[in-house]
Amino acid sequence: MKNKIFFWFFSCFILGFGNALSQDLLEIIDNEYPDQSIYAQATFKSTRISIAHSVETRKKGILEFHLMNRFWNTPEPRTQNFAADRMSSRIGLEYGISDKLTFGLGGTTWDGIFDGFLKYRLVQQQINEGGSPLSITLLQSTSYRSEATDIINAFDSFGNRLTFTSQFLIARKFTTNFSAQIAPTLIHRNSLLLEENPKNQFAIGLGGRYKLGYHVSIASEYYYVANPLESLRTFGAFSLGLNWEVGDIILQFQLTNARAMVEDAFITRTGTNFNFNDGNLHVGFNATYVLHFKKKPKTVKNSL
Amino acid sequence: MSKITIFILVFILSSSLIPKTDQYITKQGKVSFFSYTTVEDIKAENNQVLSIVDVSKNEIAISMLMRAFVFEKALMQEHFNESYIESDIFPKATFQGNIQGFDKSVQGIQTRIVEGTLTIHGISKSTEIKTIIDNTSGNYIFSGEFDIAIKDYDIKVPALLASNIAETISISFILEYSPYEK
Repeated sequence: MKNKIFFWFFSCFILGFGNALSQDLLEIIDNEYPDQSIYAQATFKSTRISIAHSVETRKKGILEFHLMNRFWNTPEPRTQNFAADRMSSRIGLEYGISDKLTFGLGGTTWDGIFDGFLKYRLVQQQINEGGSPLSITLLQSTSYRSEATDIINAFDSFGNRLTFTSQFLIARKFTTNFSAQIAPTLIHRNSLLLEENPKNQFAIGLGGRYKLGYHVSIASEYYYVANPLESLRTFGAFSLGLNWEVGDIILQFQLTNARAMVEDAFITRTGTNFNFNDGNLHVGFNATYVLHFKKKPKTVKNSL
Repeated sequence: MSKITIFILVFILSSSLIPKTDQYITKQGKVSFFSYTTVEDIKAENNQVLSIVDVSKNEIAISMLMRAFVFEKALMQEHFNESYIESDIFPKATFQGNIQGFDKSVQGIQTRIVEGTLTIHGISKSTEIKTIIDNTSGNYIFSGEFDIAIKDYDIKVPALLASNIAETISISFILEYSPYEK
């Protein structure tokens, strides 16, 4: 009797084992997927969140045309200008040297600042098990002030007109819709036009975007400066914007108090606070056109 | 225990332990899709398609990561994953089906209809795919071509790009199998 019970138990066990082996075909191949790192992509769609750099870099062989514009009114009560009293544009080019390294150049009309930068993607956030929970990108930018200063006793050489900005861009794509970025920034000025101003300035930037639809997102940024300029009353650069991307064109609209478009200038020298008064409110748009020079090779490896 | 029970036990044991040679697998299957419009031709290829076929049960299953589709333009690949196929939410496309009237004893090329469920973008549709099955080399090669309407899978195209993306996408596949060993 005991043997019989044992036999039935045993055969049930073996039958069950046999059934477990003949499992669903789809389950079998789901277990056969190779272990691969899958990186978060499009933490931000553009290389700018709204006014400042995002962790994104362009892939190898991609050339980006940037046209950034800011429009504002002067505080004078009566002006004769159509739509906006003043405008500033930055025209820039960015090229992906490799998938991780981008080189960029640009020039701004209003303040005559020319800038160049290198941006390197150090760490990429991974969305499957293991890997980094954050993306980190390094930005080193140099800007050249082409306009002479009106301070008579300043020694105005080429080197003295340079300013260097170093940024650690740290971002995370929390959900498909929400990404946030924190950016510790160091700005170094080669010459001090006024003695009381700090030579090195520290700032921290906060930015985020929230996707409203498949192609539209809202983005906001704020930069806090730890040791602001002494000679000029400055405010933290703030922006609230709408990003829209279709095909090869990315459009970014923003309301901001920052007039300049180069990092060191808008982070440390924004002289207006954010409100809707004339002279303070800047309406901007960035238009980016993406041109693919190098067609992607037919290998899938490391492309995930 | 009687001799009969031992015999049954050995029979069950052996039948469950004999390796199944009726299953064939591939991890480097190729699936590509094309969208032809007068404005723009879009092509993407995935070389990491997983598939398994059971030639005794006439069953087939295919699974692929949407992320593994490679486009000519890197930005297009990002848009595809981010704004169209939403690969963060729906990482895989799968197919599970039966091969109608398939006979594994037939040598050479036979054309059969594979009937099953195709799941893309989280939406499952029953689909019939005409498939060329070739076993001349000893292993199986499945290939074919079919069309899907992107509307069926709830993939939205903004009005501005309606002329760039075809309403019907043609999909072609080549799956070269080798025997599956567990």
